[in-house]
Amino acid sequence: MARDVLFLAEFTGGIATRSALELATGASELASAAGGAAVGLAYGSGAAAGAASLGAQGAARVIVLGDEDRPAITYASQAAAAVGGADALALLAPATPNGRDIAAALVGLLDLPAFGPVRAVRAVDGTIEAEQATLQGSVITTSRPADGAPTPAVVLVLPNTFTPAEGRSGTADVSRADGSESSPFASVTVAESHPADARVANLDEATVIVAGGRGVGGEAGFETLRELAEVLGGAVGASRAAADAGWIAYQLQIGQTGKVVKPQLYIAAGISGAIQHRVGMQTAENVVAINRDPDAPIGEFADLYVVGDLFQIVPALTDEIRRRKSG
Amino acid sequence: VKIVVCVKQVPATGAEKRYTDDYRLDRAGVEAIINPLDEYAVEQALRLVDSGAAETVTYLSMGPEQAAEALRRALAMGGDDAVLVTDPALVGADEWATARVLAAALDRLAPDVALMGMASDDGRGSLVPGAVAAKRGVPLLSYGAELTLADGKARIRRLSAAGFDWLEAPLPVVATVTDQVGEPRYASLKGIMAAKRKPLETWSLADLGLDAGGLRGAALTRVTDARAPDPKPPTERIENVPAPEAAARIADWLAARKLI
Repeated sequence: MARDVLFLAEFTGGIATRSALELATGASELASAAGGAAVGLAYGSGAAAGAASLGAQGAARVIVLGDEDRPAITYASQAAAAVGGADALALLAPATPNGRDIAAALVGLLDLPAFGPVRAVRAVDGTIEAEQATLQGSVITTSRPADGAPTPAVVLVLPNTFTPAEGRSGTADVSRADGSESSPFASVTVAESHPADARVANLDEATVIVAGGRGVGGEAGFETLRELAEVLGGAVGASRAAADAGWIAYQLQIGQTGKVVKPQLYIAAGISGAIQHRVGMQTAENVVAINRDPDAPIGEFADLYVVGDLFQIVPALTDEIRRRKSG
Repeated sequence: VKIVVCVKQVPATGAEKRYTDDYRLDRAGVEAIINPLDEYAVEQALRLVDSGAAETVTYLSMGPEQAAEALRRALAMGGDDAVLVTDPALVGADEWATARVLAAALDRLAPDVALMGMASDDGRGSLVPGAVAAKRGVPLLSYGAELTLADGKARIRRLSAAGFDWLEAPLPVVATVTDQVGEPRYASLKGIMAAKRKPLETWSLADLGLDAGGLRGAALTRVTDARAPDPKPPTERIENVPAPEAAARIADWLAARKLI
């Protein structure tokens, strides 16, 4: 019976992404419940060099799909070969554009059941059970593979669903994947690359996010949020309105058409809380909203709702936290 | 260049939603709309026709008979014709089954570009486009803020970690676009009238040469439970206090939860 749990592990410059560390930890937890091993499928620049380090998060083995800096989808056929050669219960993929691309190709290439993005996944009764918020968060569903469905189940996992194991040591066994270089997916190339703002933080890695919306009023307002994010050790995010206005990079947009985040703390400043924004942050553990409007929709899902002027409250909060930290 | 835009009919964004006893979305009496993110794919396709980069736009949907309304709505924005794949055996189809059926329909339509929205309102993983590409054996260009066509190739502008890339692949491709392609055009009255006369075909699984048995009940997954989210504790409020006091109370609240 399939017991191993696979996970996708994206690397950049030889460093595992935060999602790779989270999924390695999650796969390791699921695998021990199922009586198998966690096996990584690593890709991206420096993946071969960094692969063994995933042992520290519990990966027993890592199969390197390729270690060049090229579009993630181009690794799909190698991923399919590795998955087809394994006898695994589940494959965890990050709910990011790259993770979804590879996961989707696997569903089509290997006829696999798909779940997610999930907020929890468990190994039970020799299969997996996935819990997800659907219909824009109005319903929580629990799903399993249909009886007799092929394995592994492909599971898209939201960021911060698992917390990376720390302080452990371990080295994973590393091997190379087979796979045809001539697959249709391999014909996707980067025709032009335009790297830009070095200040664009990776929201997937943030456990604290300070997000701003229309009420932030402009780039200067985002500087105020950035200072608060800094004292909290977090990152700045934005609603679509703020990104469309050009106040902040689209990489930092949170919502249905931006990032889906699951931080421990989400501070929403000047964000009214449209449903499209809500679906990007509804699984945040703690939500604080700061808004001038006492009746903004975000009040319905904030844990703490602060009515007032964000241009006064945010700097005051930054000072207060700084004072307590140094005190 | 021939484009097929896949559109999905979904419950209206604000509509009250329920599940049936077997955990399917109960669509009876719920206002249905074209998936808002699919309208961006429609807009992108029509812009490519406007600029002369593409010649024809066909719409493809899989769903119940009333999903024809979504196709008429797309046809009112522009484009040439539409196909609805509908079959009782497709009730409750999951992403795998949907991809299989759409891929079979696309095999028959043989477009240069199969274009889709980046996600569906009622959906889950955004996995259908990539699974369709895999089934058809063509490249996937996903999450484009813009799609261009030239010299037998398709290109998308896609966000990278800090900037953006142009990704390229030879036709035919499956592509998805985001809401950054530009606001979808409104259907004019003239467009709505014209849409009524545009060809709309209905295909069954048999028409596609697919066997319902091979679709395994249209799903490799099953929902075992659906429930309302846990009731959230009541929202605490801080209001009508000066900023420094508000700040101190927020900090207390964060400290009580060990967030600072």
